[in-house]
Amino acid sequence: MGRLMYSCEQASKLSSRAMEEPLGRLDRSLLRLHLMVCGGCTNFSRQIEFLRRASHKVPEALEKDED
Amino acid sequence: MGGDEDLPKSLESHRKYLLRYALFQLRDPSLAEDAVQDTFIAALAQHDGFQGRSQLRTWLTAILKNKVIDLVRKRGRGLPADAVPLGEEDDSADSSFNAKGRWIDPPADWGLPDAALESNQFWRVYQKCCQRMPERHALVFSMREVMDLSTEEICKKLEISTSNLHVILYRARLSLRSCMTKNWFGADHG
Repeated sequence: MGRLMYSCEQASKLSSRAMEEPLGRLDRSLLRLHLMVCGGCTNFSRQIEFLRRASHKVPEALEKDED
Repeated sequence: MGGDEDLPKSLESHRKYLLRYALFQLRDPSLAEDAVQDTFIAALAQHDGFQGRSQLRTWLTAILKNKVIDLVRKRGRGLPADAVPLGEEDDSADSSFNAKGRWIDPPADWGLPDAALESNQFWRVYQKCCQRMPERHALVFSMREVMDLSTEEICKKLEISTSNLHVILYRARLSLRSCMTKNWFGADHG
C-alpha cells in the first residue's frame, strides 16, 4: 500500500510538473488520490496555479507602476 | 503615417517600462540598461517590420525578451551567487518536508487570492519574493511564467535538461508560495 500512496513531497512535485506536461495515467490517478485526502497539497496545487496567473500579469503590473 | 523620424521619440516614451521589465528579469540596473539599449538599436534597424503589425510596446517587449535572454547567455552557464552551476540542479530532499516527505508546515488555504492582483502592495511583495529566490531559479521561473516561453525553448536557450527545468520550477514555486504566505496571505497587510 505504501508504494501506492505518494508522499506530500512527491505529490507537490507532480503538481508542479503537471503544469508543464501531461502526466502519465498512473501518476495522474495517484496524484488525484493524494489530493483527495491531503489539504496541504490541494492548497499547494491551487496556489502554484494562482502564482502562474499572477506571473502572467506582471507586465500589466509594471505598466500600472508608471502612473 | 508616423514618419520615421518620430520613431526615436516614440521609443523614448517606452523606456521606463522596458527598463522595469528588464530589471525584473536581470536584477542588475546596468545590464537592464544594456538590454533596453540593444532593443532600441534593433527596433530602429528593423522598424520596417513593425508598421502597424502590433502595438509598439508589444513589439518592443518581444524584442526585449530576446535581448534579455542573449545577455543571460552571454553571462555564461554559471550565474553568479549560485553554488550549483546551471545544469546540475540536485534533486535532494527539500527543507519544506520532513524525512518521510510530509510537509513540515502544510500550506494553508489562501482563500480567494485573485483579488490581491489589484493591489500595488501585493506586487511589491511578489517582486521581493522573486528576488529572494536564487538568481538562476528566479530567471528560469520568470522565463516560463512571466515571459511565457515554452519549456522546450527555455531548455534550448539555457542548455538544461527538461528534468532539470522541472526541478528548478518546482523549487521556485515552493519558495515563492512560502514567501507569499509569510509576507502576504498569512500576514496582516491591512
